[in-house]
Amino acid sequence: MPPVNRQWRGLDRLARDPAFVARASAEFPQLAAALAEPRDRRSVLKLMAAGLALAGLSGCDDGAPGGVLIPPVLPADNTVAAGSRMFATASVLGGYADGILVRHVNGRPIKVEGNPLHPASLGGTSAIGQAEILGFYDPDRSRGLIRDGEPQSWSSLLTTLAAQRDALGQGAGFRILTGAVTSPTFSRQIAALKQRYPEMRWHRWDPVCRDAMRAGAVLAYGQPVEVLPQLDAVDLLVTIDSDLLDSAPGHLRFARDFAARRNPARTDRMSRSYAIEPTPSLTGVAADHRFVVSPRDLVRIVPALAASILRGETPAGMPSWFAPLAAEMQAAHGRAFIHAGPQQPAEIHALVHAMNEALGGRGATYTLIGPVEADPVDQAASMRDLMADMQAGHVTSLLIMDSNPVFTLPGFGEALKRVPFSMTLAAETTETGGQTHWTLPARHPFEDWSDARAYDGTVTILQPQAKPLYDGLSPHALLALFQAADQVDSRDVVRQTHGLTDGQWHDALATGVVPNTRAAVSDARLKSGAAQALPPRPAGGEVTLLFRPDPHLWDGRFANNAWLQELPRPLTKLTWDNPLLVSPAIAKRLGLANGDRVSVAVGDASVVLPAWVMPGQAADCAVALLGFGRTDVGMVGQGAGYDVYPLTGGGGPVTLRKGTGREVLACTEHHDPIFTDAGDYVRQGTLAAFKANPGFLGGPAEQPSLYNRKPTGPAAWGMSIDLNACIGCNACVVACTAENNIPTVGKQQVIHEREMHWLRIDRYHEGDPADPNILFQPVMCQHCEQAPCEIVCPVGATVHDQEGLNVMVYNRCVGTRFCSNNCPYKVRRFNYFDFAGEERRPAVARNPDVTVRARGVMEKCTFCLQRIAEARIDADMANRPIGADEVKTACQSACPAQAITFGNMAQGGDIAERKKSPLTYTLLDDQGTRPRVTYEARIFNVGSDTGT
Amino acid sequence: MNAIEPVTLPGSNNPDMTDHVSAIALRSKAFLWWWIAVAPAALLTSILIGSILYLFYAGVGIWGIDWPVAWGFAIISYVWWIAIASGGTFISALFFLTRSEWRNSINRIAESMTLFGAACAGIYPILHLGRPWFFYWLFPYPNSMGLWPQFRSPLLWDFFAILTYVTASVLFWYLGLLPDLATLRDRAPTRTKQVVYGAMALGFRGTSGQWRHYHALYGVLAAIMAPLVCSVHSIVGLDFAGAATVGWHSTMFPPFFIFGAFLSGFATVLLLIMPLRRLLRLQRYITTRHVEVLGRLLLTSSLFVGYAYIMDAFTTYYGGEKAEITMFQEKLFGYYAGIYWATILFNVLLPQLLWFRTIRLNQLVVGLISVGVIVGMWCERYTIVVVSLHRPRLPSSYGIFHATIWDWLTLTGTAGFFVFGILMIVRLVPVISMFEMREILAPRRP
Amino acid sequence: MAAIFRPTANIAAQVVVVGLGMLIVGGAVWWWAWPRMDYVRHMGWTVEQPVPFSHQHHVAGLGIDCRFCHVTVETAANAGLPPTYTCMTCHSQIWTNAALLAPVRESLANNTPIVWHRVTDLPDYVYFNHKIHIAKGVGCQSCHGTIQDMALTRKARTLTMGFCLDCHRDPAPNLRPADAIFNTDWHRTAETPSPAALMQHYHVGGRNLTDCSICHR
Repeated sequence: MPPVNRQWRGLDRLARDPAFVARASAEFPQLAAALAEPRDRRSVLKLMAAGLALAGLSGCDDGAPGGVLIPPVLPADNTVAAGSRMFATASVLGGYADGILVRHVNGRPIKVEGNPLHPASLGGTSAIGQAEILGFYDPDRSRGLIRDGEPQSWSSLLTTLAAQRDALGQGAGFRILTGAVTSPTFSRQIAALKQRYPEMRWHRWDPVCRDAMRAGAVLAYGQPVEVLPQLDAVDLLVTIDSDLLDSAPGHLRFARDFAARRNPARTDRMSRSYAIEPTPSLTGVAADHRFVVSPRDLVRIVPALAASILRGETPAGMPSWFAPLAAEMQAAHGRAFIHAGPQQPAEIHALVHAMNEALGGRGATYTLIGPVEADPVDQAASMRDLMADMQAGHVTSLLIMDSNPVFTLPGFGEALKRVPFSMTLAAETTETGGQTHWTLPARHPFEDWSDARAYDGTVTILQPQAKPLYDGLSPHALLALFQAADQVDSRDVVRQTHGLTDGQWHDALATGVVPNTRAAVSDARLKSGAAQALPPRPAGGEVTLLFRPDPHLWDGRFANNAWLQELPRPLTKLTWDNPLLVSPAIAKRLGLANGDRVSVAVGDASVVLPAWVMPGQAADCAVALLGFGRTDVGMVGQGAGYDVYPLTGGGGPVTLRKGTGREVLACTEHHDPIFTDAGDYVRQGTLAAFKANPGFLGGPAEQPSLYNRKPTGPAAWGMSIDLNACIGCNACVVACTAENNIPTVGKQQVIHEREMHWLRIDRYHEGDPADPNILFQPVMCQHCEQAPCEIVCPVGATVHDQEGLNVMVYNRCVGTRFCSNNCPYKVRRFNYFDFAGEERRPAVARNPDVTVRARGVMEKCTFCLQRIAEARIDADMANRPIGADEVKTACQSACPAQAITFGNMAQGGDIAERKKSPLTYTLLDDQGTRPRVTYEARIFNVGSDTGT
Repeated sequence: MNAIEPVTLPGSNNPDMTDHVSAIALRSKAFLWWWIAVAPAALLTSILIGSILYLFYAGVGIWGIDWPVAWGFAIISYVWWIAIASGGTFISALFFLTRSEWRNSINRIAESMTLFGAACAGIYPILHLGRPWFFYWLFPYPNSMGLWPQFRSPLLWDFFAILTYVTASVLFWYLGLLPDLATLRDRAPTRTKQVVYGAMALGFRGTSGQWRHYHALYGVLAAIMAPLVCSVHSIVGLDFAGAATVGWHSTMFPPFFIFGAFLSGFATVLLLIMPLRRLLRLQRYITTRHVEVLGRLLLTSSLFVGYAYIMDAFTTYYGGEKAEITMFQEKLFGYYAGIYWATILFNVLLPQLLWFRTIRLNQLVVGLISVGVIVGMWCERYTIVVVSLHRPRLPSSYGIFHATIWDWLTLTGTAGFFVFGILMIVRLVPVISMFEMREILAPRRP
Repeated sequence: MAAIFRPTANIAAQVVVVGLGMLIVGGAVWWWAWPRMDYVRHMGWTVEQPVPFSHQHHVAGLGIDCRFCHVTVETAANAGLPPTYTCMTCHSQIWTNAALLAPVRESLANNTPIVWHRVTDLPDYVYFNHKIHIAKGVGCQSCHGTIQDMALTRKARTLTMGFCLDCHRDPAPNLRPADAIFNTDWHRTAETPSPAALMQHYHVGGRNLTDCSICHR
């Protein structure tokens, strides 16, 4: 029988969970009935989809199935029935906003794009931001008011809240728990609540928090200022275990600014960057030099660095690269910038502040601004207080919003039992929701009005993109209900906050930014004592255990998002799992191979999970990835991976033992992880060599060919990918998935090597496993002019069109798979099963402009043909040629670093420019395929002394 | 050591032969051994049908094929069977043209083998498709979509070749059967058999005129079959040679595959005649001479194949393309090395024993060698398809292949179907071409 | 020995042979003809509709322009179906209580859409776009037939891929002057520009309209 993929497994398991069945029956009686006998998973699915149809969306679809047409009763106002439009809003993570535009087709949201006008985005998006649209359509989202597992009516909630309002009195026992918040409206409402309940307290908890940075700022400046780097002005970037390009607030903008200085063919002032880190990060991989340093050495090296920069000392016992680096930093006065990651202790941050000041970067390479977060607190401390009060029984009513402490904070569940009244408001199903008295379904951000601030303080108004799929409650409305009896509309609450005129309001909505809300530059002065503070030594023991958020599931909140689950992690290429990342040294010592079980113990807490060898990780380091192993999350994330949060609680020595047996992990790369010749595919060289001879990495070799079939159409589509800009963040992959209705296949099928991504990012390690050179290369259909796939297809299902596209005609394909065999780049994907049909995703969520592929047909990147076709038709209607940069592919527009350029080469434009770059080469050019996709070789700006 | 028997033992003559052979076909009751053999064959055949039905229901995903290794057992077995089938045609057609006497006694068995070998091969290309119900799209016919197949694709020509070959084989086999069917008709004990055989004999009465036409036609068909069998297998070879894939992109394939056809064909014939001559008491007409001759042919073709293997290695390293060399080393020492070395052992090394006459005359050993060759030929195709595909040009797309239960069931299923078919032949029609034997036997009893 | 077959057997044999031949030929013919048959393409089928709307009456009779109801035909891929509201603009004045129109009135009253049944339905993998065809001078009737004569709407063309390709190979015969595109009783006259001239005028022929990527995505 066909291997059951992860999602289904989840379903069957869940179907046996009485809590879920209760919840389900509240919403869908027929669904519950079907779940009672979960042998027939397909019918369950149908009901799920039906549920969404009921939610009143399918009506929009003109091509509705069943051969009927359903026109609206009244002419729809202000939405076009056909065609697509964009509406601005923001995707918020950890409180910070990235501006996005949501594309609506036939009146329904189907795709997230970046907002070019938003400072934190400039048109780019993150993988998580791209995937948010799937979360919006997630059938597992929590629905219906639940109290102690019983469905409740709206009125019973109102009476309960009325009782609360009376009972709370001065609010001594009233606590609100949220994640970090930047929403002006939210904090305004909190302030109002504090008026009414003077003694209430507002606690904050994010398992992945930035406490240390805040504390560091306080150490250095006496106030929680935030650093606003200007990376395009930075000549020398030194990052210390940093997340600058990975996930720091504003990372999309940083990637863009960073990339602007990375391609010597376009900038004559290529920046140089050093990364000092214990485990590989995107920031480290993007650097010219990556120094692998254990955290316990970091606490020694960073103060030494500070000493030599601030006081000109030359500390002993430092690695060989230390002195030259220090010297280079001194030399780069006013052009250098140092950044330390949130995992580093406050003292290190204080030192970094001091060094930045000393290097005269302030005002040039970065500025300081007041805190963007509303009323920032030390979250760890804030949580300690809350837990203590809960245990002591001081907490009488607890309201939890946008936070899942039962899962992310060991011991919270226990403490929660002692709270007489607790209430969760969450859009997704959460463990916390299962344990509070009340569980209220929150509106998805795409259904609600709100606001949030970006890394630089700019405010964005979040506007609803669709009528709520399931009636949920707005956080703002709920806060208002704690304030007073009258129910408010979240739109009004948000509008009151900003006091904009109608004109300004509509502009703010249209542009996605509220003008002049950028945070003011702070003139805080560095405290004298800042540079003295020394960081604490991390606990001894032969293994240092680091906790990092999973790059895609973050702290676990996206665990039910199939796109993110199946998105190969940038560095490990793993999907659906979070093995313990161990350094090659540890692997050698314990005799671990990828997949072998290990048991990690911290104090008395321990977890058994598979191991994965991470080249380039400090010898003593093991990294546990947060966010997996959710137990009450929905059918996709159910039971995927391992919950490592228990380890975060137990203090004490870390022990690592090899366990018995091994797990099969779903990795999308199957080659020997270490390479000596990755350069054959990812061409690379040093800046010096480039200066000597710019063309030294070879142009695209035009192999002589007996018959030249040059496409003769009015347009010539081409793509250029800048490997200097690509940071491997995967945003393009999710964008492609969303745009082209690419199905997810589940863990089992990924293990079978049947993943469907049209665009993959190849990752090579080169050199010494302990400190390899890590390289990224996005690979999609290369649209060869001499395409090997085309000549072998017996039915002509893949052919060339006049504009140079290698066209795949799904409905002609009979599935011989010969094209895939013959593709040197292996970019074709085959529907071994009815993947699209089995996907847990309502039909209305799909892009109606792209065919949904059936079982047994081949598919591949089309250069977003649907977008080309649209432009083609518009151009023809105006009797003009298609502009050079008129069409943007999904991957291109998603890329925060603008690594991908696409366009009509016949009309010149950016694409023609980039193709002229001396770094341009074609992949496997010896195959004579003449791809329309070319790459710009990676250049390393290697230091003369620090050089390796 | 014992001297080699002549093609037919001294004293054999037409009447005895005809009595003996037609009696087998006309028996009212089948042999016990026949029933014992047919039971498992029928079981496997029904398993084949079952796994095909499930395949159509669930899709090719039930097989082990994956992203880099997009072709698997379906193609391996297809090539394997078509090679076995071709072997039969060599004996029935090629050696007919060379007028080799010994071929007459085993030609019926060889042709039947071709028939069912081709049948087993023929179903695979369709099962292989992702959407098998559209297989006819490979056929150039005027459709309402205004579309034609793509004539540059080797697969298309493969489709034509196999279609032609199957049709031609059926005709050749049936034509060869006509005179013997007539004989059976005349000797049939019951009315039903008379009518059935009579109808199948298409009114062949053996008049001199009929014989004249018959010989002409048979000669022509044989002359067509001989080049056809080479072309069909060359074109199967082109499926690989025509691709730019690592390990396939070599002009050697067409001859290489024909060598393979010789090898597996002779081995299979040996495996069929050695038991049958005993079970049906045909030692008088199928003698150790046949075994000995086929043994030599087996040895010769194994030398051919060995040459091909050497050239495979030579061209790889002489060509010096990195991807090719990487793949080849993987072939020799990698995950699938065992299969490659099994190929060498079974197809090249073991058959060398046949240099010795004693061995050639030892039917047990010859039988074992033949079995080895058939297994070896399957391994060879496994190496060509799977091992080549699992090491593409970009390391990022390296992969692995593991067969599933459905792969194996389908394979064994076709094997069962093949045996089943042969048994039916044995039961229903003369296993020796009587009219051709008459050309080399004494006309009357001494 | 007695002959097994009586002479009549010869006839039987011949019948069988001829029969086989005819079977093969017949099969081939059927295979060719079947997908082209109007029956299979539902040509001329009238479909049961909630309201027996008559294009004949509204278009030929009252002379209402196509775009009055199919508003997006010039601006979008879909020609668009009129909302109930559009019907009621007139029918709130005339035939206000005709039994035939009861479903329309109810639709507006209960705010429940009218569910029409498709007359022409293309496969989901075909992306036909109305606006470009209109912009390039292809009249409605080229695909929808003599809609103005249809008391009940029916499918007037096979709409096979072959049908589309015929026009995509040579659009000229189907092009009309811009002012005649929605004119249902238009036909070529001496004054009409030649097909070639129209091709020129609409800039048709710049690209290869038979590329797969023109219709399939």
